[in-house]
Amino acid sequence: MIHPFGSLPENLAAFCRMLAAEYGWHVGSGELHDAARALGVAPLEDEGVVRDVLRPVLCSNLDEVREFDVAFNRFFHGESTLPAGTSPATARRLWNSDASARITRRVRARSATSPEDADGAVERSRAASTVAAIESEDELDGEDAAPVHARLSPLAGEGEAPELSPVDAAWRQAARALVRRFAAGQARTWRSAPRGPRFDLRGTLRTGLHTGGEWLHPRWRARPRRRPRFVIVIDGSRSMAEAARAAMQVAVALASATSAVEVFAFSTELERITPDVRRAATGRTRRLPQLQHAWGGGTSIGACLEQFTRRFGARLLSPDTIIFIASDGLDAGDPDVLRNAVARLHRQSAAIVWLNPLVETPGFEPTARGMQIARPYIATLAWVGDATGLARLARSLRLRR
Amino acid sequence: MKDAAAIRERFRERGFIVGEPFATALQLVIALEKPLLIEGPAGVGKTESAKTLADVLGTRLIRLQCYEGLDAQTALYEWNYPRQMLHIRLSEAEGASRESQEAHIFSDAFLLERPLLEAIRQDRSPVLLIDEVDRADEAFEAFLLEMLAEWQVTIPELGTIRARHKPHVILTSNRTRELSDALRRRCLFFWLPYPTLDEEIAILHARIPGLSARLANEIARVMEWLRDLHLHKAPGVAESLDWALALMSLHRDHLDTVALEQTIGCVLKVREDHGVFDVHRDRVAAILGAASLAPAASGEPGEAAGGHSLETDFGFGSVSRPAR
Repeated sequence: MIHPFGSLPENLAAFCRMLAAEYGWHVGSGELHDAARALGVAPLEDEGVVRDVLRPVLCSNLDEVREFDVAFNRFFHGESTLPAGTSPATARRLWNSDASARITRRVRARSATSPEDADGAVERSRAASTVAAIESEDELDGEDAAPVHARLSPLAGEGEAPELSPVDAAWRQAARALVRRFAAGQARTWRSAPRGPRFDLRGTLRTGLHTGGEWLHPRWRARPRRRPRFVIVIDGSRSMAEAARAAMQVAVALASATSAVEVFAFSTELERITPDVRRAATGRTRRLPQLQHAWGGGTSIGACLEQFTRRFGARLLSPDTIIFIASDGLDAGDPDVLRNAVARLHRQSAAIVWLNPLVETPGFEPTARGMQIARPYIATLAWVGDATGLARLARSLRLRR
Repeated sequence: MKDAAAIRERFRERGFIVGEPFATALQLVIALEKPLLIEGPAGVGKTESAKTLADVLGTRLIRLQCYEGLDAQTALYEWNYPRQMLHIRLSEAEGASRESQEAHIFSDAFLLERPLLEAIRQDRSPVLLIDEVDRADEAFEAFLLEMLAEWQVTIPELGTIRARHKPHVILTSNRTRELSDALRRRCLFFWLPYPTLDEEIAILHARIPGLSARLANEIARVMEWLRDLHLHKAPGVAESLDWALALMSLHRDHLDTVALEQTIGCVLKVREDHGVFDVHRDRVAAILGAASLAPAASGEPGEAAGGHSLETDFGFGSVSRPAR
């Protein structure tokens, strides 16, 4: 192991700083303190033990578990971007806060396998195409290195992944109306309520304590409504172009109205973009990362929906789930795969709402092969281009239940 | 117990095989007194690891099973209202003063402890298992944050109760929804994946002592292959154990086509998965052939399947002891 600095605390602090600054992890002073304590209870001679100790302390999700070894190797094994022979003093200077402001080096390696494709897949090595964007303004060599962008996607289109922008009050209001409209069925549990179908003996007795044991205020029990869950699957293929961006606005609006939203983009592969959409919903403009096969390529709706049910179905599909599929239905895949995938979604959800931008074309008939196959399973076929459209959709929707 | 190796050994004695990383994470739970959030696919032993930890530490396991609608009251405490009311009536008949009544009815005798309060009032640190935390509402998660940070409960009538000994907390999640960053930051994190081939063989031997080495090897190979098949419901370790027991009850000491037909329902539980299996059925013969040719494994965990060691990059475990 290479120790960029002399002492363990310095190394640990610099490692944590790197994780926070370059990998975007939430590693603050609390985590640093815990990491130091953790190292104190384990033998440090064995590098494997050091990794085993730091991993649970510094990682907080599967994404980070996967990145941890890369970051560790980079920092402690010289797989970093520091030139060979850099003295500890220089390294120290570069790693301190002043220097780190000048060094803006971001290495992001994203596996094509989504972190959410985890149930059993974490140790499966899939041939993962990698996107690496390296931006370097290293002052050590005295010249500005040109940014390097690599995109290993033969099917990828020329379009950049879209920018997610916050939505205005009209969008949020329409989204809230939609969420209210979809208020799901009743929860399993009973809760105390002012009115309800069951007499609440316990609650009434409790209230009776205030009136000397006399039951003047009867209490009741009712089952609260369950929260609906929304899944939005957006076709990012070339044929959708601008329409997909409008669908993204719907996703951001819904994410601002409820936290029970999951968003995916697909073209020939499926990619989960929920974290980015949630950030956009909190008011921050956010450009999506390169989505590889999930944006700007051809369309394989059936395969991607099948991929969705396989990877996320168990966790996201339930009788309370409303699925929005934003696509023009121009499918290039196997029709049977699409039929089976949509039928499965139909069985396992409350409703499928298909958002098709072509609906607004005068004389539109859903004759595209994908639309014809999916039509029997769709509860509502519509398009939402603005907040008014979303409000209209909220009023007109009907669930299958 | 401050040594990961000792934890591994104690777990192994109880039929639970853990890898070095998982043992280290459990060691940190004890040493740092921080909760451990375990995520992983269903059926890999997340819940069982907490039970085994309690057994290893010789302490109580207190379990809070989370579900939609779980509220703080159900998790913390409730007053025994019917009993309080009865007491009031009896006291009135005896002519007791109101002050003495109040002092009495809001005492421990009328307090119904729920898991979280119970956990902080133990004389010795218990293992608190907060199972399937992702099934609880976000409001409950926020309440849990406060509990995990302060380890104290304020009961208006009794005052603030502080934990005498911090519990060893294990949270499990099947990821039906994303947990908040705030909760994650308060916890150590461990991803518990499916076991590797050698690990699964060791688990089968540890859990089902009479299982033949050949059958264990074949089951583990088929399971490893099945988990790579993109099934709708990939089989966990629980299914491996069920399958092994089913085959043993049919007096099989190896897998063949007939045995596979008879018992595949122990493993594949979704109709579409049977279709996927049928498409790839030809591969099974090759897998079983390879398993048969593999060096015979001894009954001792760790010496199975060509003598691979149990050292792995990830920890693992198995599920509850199968009922006989």
